[in-house]
Amino acid sequence: MSKAILTDITKCIGCLECVKVCKNTYGLEYDVPRTWQKNDGLSAQNWTAVLQKPGKKYIRKQCRHCLEPACVTVCPVGALHKTAEGAVMYDSDKCLGCRYCMMACPYGIPRYDWDKPVPYIRKCIMCYPKIKNGEQPACTAACPTEATIFGERDALIAEAHKRIKETPGKYIDKVWGEHEIGGTSVLYLSDIDLGFLSYQPHLGNTPLPNRTEPAMKAVPIAFAGMGGLMYGLNWIIRRRMDKQGKKENEE
Amino acid sequence: MNRVQNTKLVLWLIAGFAAAVGITRFVFGLGVTTNLTDATPWGLWIGFDVMGGVALASGGFVLTAIVYIMKREKYHGLVRPAVLTAFLGYIAVVLGLLFDLGLPWNIWHMMIYWNPHSPLFEVGWCVMLYTTVLLLEFSPVPLESTSRYARVRTFLLKFRFPFVMLGIMLSTLHQSSLGSLFLIMPFKLHPLWYSNILPIHFFLSAIALGLMMVSLESLVSHWLYRRKAATHLVAGLGKAAVWVLSVYLVVKLLDIAISGKFGLIFDGSWESFLFIAELLISIIIPLLIFAVPKSRNSLAGQGIGSFMVVFGLVFNRINVGGLTMLRATGDVYIPSWTEFAISAGVVSTAALVFLFAVEKFNIWEKRPIDPQTLPDTMPSFDRASEVWLGVPAVAARTKYSLAFILSLSIGFAIMPGSKIQSQGVAEVTAQKARGGDVLFIDGNRDGYGVMFKHTDHTKRLENAQSCVKCHHMNKPLDQQSGCYECHRDMYSSSDVFNHDWHSDYSGSNIACGQCHSAGEERRAESAKKCDACHTDLIPEGTLIEVKSNMASSYTDAMHSMCLDCHTQKAPEVAERINLTLCTTCHEAAPPDYLKSEVGESLRGPYFNHVVIPGLPERTEGD
Repeated sequence: MSKAILTDITKCIGCLECVKVCKNTYGLEYDVPRTWQKNDGLSAQNWTAVLQKPGKKYIRKQCRHCLEPACVTVCPVGALHKTAEGAVMYDSDKCLGCRYCMMACPYGIPRYDWDKPVPYIRKCIMCYPKIKNGEQPACTAACPTEATIFGERDALIAEAHKRIKETPGKYIDKVWGEHEIGGTSVLYLSDIDLGFLSYQPHLGNTPLPNRTEPAMKAVPIAFAGMGGLMYGLNWIIRRRMDKQGKKENEE
Repeated sequence: MNRVQNTKLVLWLIAGFAAAVGITRFVFGLGVTTNLTDATPWGLWIGFDVMGGVALASGGFVLTAIVYIMKREKYHGLVRPAVLTAFLGYIAVVLGLLFDLGLPWNIWHMMIYWNPHSPLFEVGWCVMLYTTVLLLEFSPVPLESTSRYARVRTFLLKFRFPFVMLGIMLSTLHQSSLGSLFLIMPFKLHPLWYSNILPIHFFLSAIALGLMMVSLESLVSHWLYRRKAATHLVAGLGKAAVWVLSVYLVVKLLDIAISGKFGLIFDGSWESFLFIAELLISIIIPLLIFAVPKSRNSLAGQGIGSFMVVFGLVFNRINVGGLTMLRATGDVYIPSWTEFAISAGVVSTAALVFLFAVEKFNIWEKRPIDPQTLPDTMPSFDRASEVWLGVPAVAARTKYSLAFILSLSIGFAIMPGSKIQSQGVAEVTAQKARGGDVLFIDGNRDGYGVMFKHTDHTKRLENAQSCVKCHHMNKPLDQQSGCYECHRDMYSSSDVFNHDWHSDYSGSNIACGQCHSAGEERRAESAKKCDACHTDLIPEGTLIEVKSNMASSYTDAMHSMCLDCHTQKAPEVAERINLTLCTTCHEAAPPDYLKSEVGESLRGPYFNHVVIPGLPERTEGD
């Protein structure tokens, strides 16, 4: 049931139709460079952007909609959640603006309304209202070359491997997002290394929530353990002091 | 003047400054009052105020453990100030957090929306509960000043042991969980600071910091009120700190060695020097100072040693909290002065409350007195001049209020108005297009430009008559103005209208009516547009339209001109269907004679902050 987006880098011609339709669909404002923006084209008003790399390579950047998202794990109020359809959604009514999701995202995706007195987290929502109605996201529908397509995640992974097999040498033999940090719902097929999309070129296959889980599981143990330790220590010391006091009294 | 009053005056000054910044931050948002960015969403306020603040407040649980659990009655006198500092510290943390949170009025959401997987959720709850526990632990102190609440006080004192236990347990959790916050950022945090047992590092260092913070605070307040320093107590705490610091050092180095990162300490990068510096300041040097009995018992040794631990470990929190992520994020974040002002203001406010409390309640065995509040230290009535000087305490308060208001207004006065008005839009001056027959249009000189075949376009657009299609008039008295001269900024419109020059030329004050219609407020927006007088501004057959008296941004000027024409031409001939694609212009190869100048720098479109053509027109069926 989990949906996904597959972007084939070799097919993208850099026409920016996806960016345009995204902005129009969500009424995102006209944007100019601000001092707080990263230079990857994403901003609170640009939920998808097309990066360019030497040799006419266009790479569309957007939220990866991880299968086990770091942002969802860290949000203290659960304002972010992963839907069954695959989209990672944001609930602005719950948000308190701590920006931990921005810190935790290995791809550096969530953006902030830095210029607003009432700011929210802004990012791609995989057109959740549309995919819920059985439609496809605006960006994949708008793509003139079918460089970015929408479908069932399993089917898209199969399709990606089929393309790699059918045209040997055209692609790097890897589907970006298939296993990376537990898998993502936005997949890439590419003939160049896409390590630049994340903070480190190789993220490994361990889902990020697994890294905080042991610490969180140890919380009750640490709580009870510290309580026990302190009480025990106090008991021993009091007993020793009592004995000492008795001795002194006897003398 | 005395130390206490001078200190209070400085604290009030800082608080006033911070108040001005605080108001601006809430009115205009975080973007223009801080240097936080999308790449660095956590800055000084999290690194110092929250992470440092919680760590600094650890003296409360450490001292209660020493006195009530381990029954070291010698330190009983330090418990009250330690608990008070802890309580005020947590209040300061929450206060700092309120400035940092985007939606601070939603802070209570943590109580109703639960996400037990989040370390921050755990920290939040612990801080809430522990602050309450601290309040209950501390409240017997102010209650003892009146007999009315004696029963409440006895009731609270009955529960002191459970409160102490709960406080220690809660502190264990959130002091360590502050480290857990960063477990999820293995790709951002530098490997020397990232560790799977980061919570343990944080907990151990919090204990050391707690011991040393209590020591430092005791030394400072004794200096402030000119009392004899309790060096024998601090020496005892220093002895304990030696043990804790040793364990912390061993755990830290073993952890690094086991995970095979030892080489990183000496790889010569700035992070390695930072790490060594942190290690020396926070652990090794204080360890040596407190290990040697002579320096441990000396006032100077105690002062330097405890300060180094406090400074070094807060520095550690800042390093983990973002400073060492710099290499991964590639974003150089230097806090703005406004951020420093808020941080300093929060600390100052807490310090003022602390001083207030020690003067009003029995925090120490002997209550210190602000000398000027004593009626006999200063005459309230000057006999010689027969002038009533007022109650000295009131005089001091007047001085404080004055300092507060003065710095408040200075704060407002030096607020970076330009940044606030521009809403953080970066100013990028547009520059001249280079070349001749083929122009290389690269307004912001970043190498991502457009090759514009000028001769080809002139030919295609019927030679001599074609100029007006794209160009409008030069600047007055100028023969060949470059586009960049009026369209000055890459992304924002610039005001190019010279009002003085126009009014002088048309006869000063009597000429208003030429542009402003009578009975209407004289404003730029309501005045006649440029083309009403400068009829030659917009020649016939041009594609340019004048929308206001502002020159649009360079990017807009270029885009609208080219794209208007291209969209017109695109449907005409089948092979020109690509005309509206960005790549058509942004990827053309440079001509040979420009290659030497442009060289390798030409890289086609850089789609950052791309201005999407035709965006305002919504597509049908939206």
